[in-house]
Amino acid sequence: MVRFKNRWLLVEFVDTSTVDASAEKESLSTRPLDGRLIYNALRDSVVTNFGDTGWGAVGMSLNVKYFSPLTNLCIIRVARDQHRIAWGAVTLLTSIHDVRVIPRVVHVSGTIKHTQLSAIAHNREVIARFRTKLKNTAFHHDSYDDYLARSTREIEALHD
Amino acid sequence: MVSKRKGDDTEEMTSRERKKLKVAGARTIAVQPPVSASGSGTVQSSGNAFAGPSSTTVRFDSMQGLPASIDVEMFTEARAYEIDAMQKAIKTAGESVTHRVWQTLPRHLRRRAASHDVRRVPLRLRDKARAEMVPVTRRILKRGRSKQGKTKQVSRTESLLRRQRDKTWLETHIWHAKRMKMENMWGYRLAVTPTEKSFRPSHRASMHGSILHDSSYHSLIELKGPENILRNVLDLCCDPQCTGMKRSMTGARVLETDLYKSGSYPFDLIAPVTIMWRPLPVGNTSAPANASQAKGSSKRRRKRKNDAPVNAAPQSPTRVIWVRSHPAVFDDIFAALQGSASLVLEAEKQRHKDVYAEVEIVDLRGSVNAFEIMGPKASQVIKGALSVVADDDRQEFKKFWPSLTDLQTTASLPRGIVIGMKVLDPRLKFPPKNAKLRMDGQHPATPAMTFPAAILAQSEIWDEEQRSALKKPTYKKKDLDARRSKNLVPGTPLSPLRQDDRIPLLLIQRSLESPSSTHGIHGWMVVVPAGWGMPFLPSLVHTGTRVGGQRERGSQAFEAGTAYFPRDFPCTEFYDKHWDERAVKEKAKWNRTPPAKRANFKKLGTRSPWRADWEVVLGLPVASEVDENLVPAQREPQDAMEVDKAPTVRPWLLRGPEVPTILAKATQNFNHGAGLLAEINRLRTKRGMDVLDASYRPEDLLKGALVMVRLKMVSRGAPNDLAIIYRIDDDEARKIIKEKGKIREGADSNEPAEAAPPQTSIIGYVTTGNMSLSRGEGFAIGAIPVSVLLELRQQAQRYGFLARGKPQLMWL
Repeated sequence: MVRFKNRWLLVEFVDTSTVDASAEKESLSTRPLDGRLIYNALRDSVVTNFGDTGWGAVGMSLNVKYFSPLTNLCIIRVARDQHRIAWGAVTLLTSIHDVRVIPRVVHVSGTIKHTQLSAIAHNREVIARFRTKLKNTAFHHDSYDDYLARSTREIEALHD
Repeated sequence: MVSKRKGDDTEEMTSRERKKLKVAGARTIAVQPPVSASGSGTVQSSGNAFAGPSSTTVRFDSMQGLPASIDVEMFTEARAYEIDAMQKAIKTAGESVTHRVWQTLPRHLRRRAASHDVRRVPLRLRDKARAEMVPVTRRILKRGRSKQGKTKQVSRTESLLRRQRDKTWLETHIWHAKRMKMENMWGYRLAVTPTEKSFRPSHRASMHGSILHDSSYHSLIELKGPENILRNVLDLCCDPQCTGMKRSMTGARVLETDLYKSGSYPFDLIAPVTIMWRPLPVGNTSAPANASQAKGSSKRRRKRKNDAPVNAAPQSPTRVIWVRSHPAVFDDIFAALQGSASLVLEAEKQRHKDVYAEVEIVDLRGSVNAFEIMGPKASQVIKGALSVVADDDRQEFKKFWPSLTDLQTTASLPRGIVIGMKVLDPRLKFPPKNAKLRMDGQHPATPAMTFPAAILAQSEIWDEEQRSALKKPTYKKKDLDARRSKNLVPGTPLSPLRQDDRIPLLLIQRSLESPSSTHGIHGWMVVVPAGWGMPFLPSLVHTGTRVGGQRERGSQAFEAGTAYFPRDFPCTEFYDKHWDERAVKEKAKWNRTPPAKRANFKKLGTRSPWRADWEVVLGLPVASEVDENLVPAQREPQDAMEVDKAPTVRPWLLRGPEVPTILAKATQNFNHGAGLLAEINRLRTKRGMDVLDASYRPEDLLKGALVMVRLKMVSRGAPNDLAIIYRIDDDEARKIIKEKGKIREGADSNEPAEAAPPQTSIIGYVTTGNMSLSRGEGFAIGAIPVSVLLELRQQAQRYGFLARGKPQLMWL
């Protein structure tokens, strides 16, 4: 039986503007990214690095399923046999619409469910990291304690 | 796609499009909209409005003047939204497309027609189901008038009755037919097994829950007569080893025993039966019993009266006995009882020439319904479903009924105890609730002990007039529902009216157990008059009692380690019939299977693959052999011939509660056969039968004796039905014992050679074999000749396995 197998990439676009803090480059805040913009940038990257054959191989199945401009998380779908081409193209992506970005592939999986679960894990890690950086952790209690406790339980229930 | 019918055009989208939309909606992940650029000022600068990069090399610009805590809140809020969105997406994607609405229902509420008929789905889910269905098929179901004219209309009753002409339906047939696989057996249409996969759940229910079986098809014979005459009738027929005869004569207990042809114990075993005596009315101990007047004969009654001339008041009261047995052997049992009765009455006539004695034998098939509820929860189910009539004055019953709540298993009650009571229509209290076991220490740890008492067993169900008056319930379900709708508060149980029926019934404790074993299955048997099967069934089943068919009943007996009629009773007629039918089926199946996938019996050298050939095992001549001595054209009477011929050895089954002691006594005698004969004669004389015919030699008696054995496996594997039991000689036994010891230590052992043992060492067959769920290993019930059993016992003694006089190991 023929099944179409995919690979789902969870990519985070690291904003270089805050890292670099050099005022010449535009920050992402001025040009909010879009799923379509990312797709176009990816296409250009594939064509530049892998040629037309590369785009022909990957193009049919490439799809940007989700992008959040606030968290810069992106979920991209590729067919399983060509996912290395797309992965390479993502890594070699330097700028989207004249905005320098550093894409970082966080997770690769075969189903979107596991990609979503890894996105959740990634976000929780980020929250945890930020909270540890707080100066006055002892005094500051935010509403996220209950939320995190509750969502932990829900996520455990979703894990099969 | 252009739709055919006008109506469909008006819908905006077809169901396919709707489904696609639903799927697409379920699979999208929500994205938090970005904050507008013209938001609050300070928050905007240098990416503070965003979630921020994930790496920790972010420098918090303290020049902002904001405390770090607020940044964290903003950062994490966006992340939290995303977490939420992902979670929701996973959940909705999982739930939306993969499940139809009726798939969320438990298995026993799902119906096949639910896919095209919304009425088969419970009310609360109907709207969703309607939305999910493809709309075109909504019109297919037209339950209106058929095309054929009025004269050809066959009412439903008529069509159902037409189907019942060659077989009998039980009262609960339609309920069973919807849920179980049905088969024609013994003139009845009976349930074999439920349609859902329920082998293990049924076993678990019999061990920890409750499982019900409608056994109304069992035949019932009523015997009426003076007490001593009835006692003698039973003595001639029943197994002499049974000890409960006196106890059961008060009527407080039932007697489970085997029935033989009258006077020919131990040969001609017919079947196991259950015998119930009607308790004498209290305060009426020695009522002079007049000759029972002839009742109007109904079509289904067969009466047998044996009158003796002249009259005189008999000394013993008239009693009534019910004999309950398997339906297939009804004729044999009836004939046996008739023969026995005529013999006893003849003897009475000889002894007391002026006594008028009469024994009436009545066929009561179909006049009662019986439900067997097995499992520890059976008592709570019965207590919850039945509501006792208020005007019952018996003290014992008043103590017994509340104690049912706390009864954890009916094994705590005396075996076979009978309790008679009167209940209200169970439909008044529908839906019932199980009585709850109280687990706290408030009640005494041991419930009040119930002793069998004749007064406890009184019931009006024995009365024929009462039963016929109750044949038709006064209220139909429709009437009761109308009454229920008049209730002010919906859901209150109906209060009993004067016109409501009060139904007498019997509760009989029923156990499947083998001595010296912990794997017993205990429960109740509820006997109700005819016409009340359907009202009782839903109340008993509503709280989660499983329902089982023939297969479940058989596997209960197997797990308990008892013999199940007819499978495990080798020397009865019905056993032969049963296994012949089964052999035909198995042979046909074997023929159908391709040779590469079936056992090659020729190569294995199996003597008889589909039948247990007991004659060869016992060393008897096979029946089909032609005797050379017999001249075919002889017209002489046969007696002269038989004197010359060697007397044939008749196979018989040694069975009963006293078998171990009988065998022990037989071995004390050097000649085992003579010892066995002495034991049999002792039992026969105990019951007033003559000793066995002297022409029957003790060696033949021993030769033809089979005994039932239980087999446990030494190592892995489970035997099948009709597995062959071999005997192993001494050095092989030594090897296996050594290896068994090794296996215990966990060392690796070489498998013994797999060659099939020679045919001469076949000592018996397994009648029922399977993986036993309660033991966790293979288990089998089979039979071997008694002589071989005694030899094996000696062999085991040599190896020191004999503990407390009983061999511990028997192996295949």
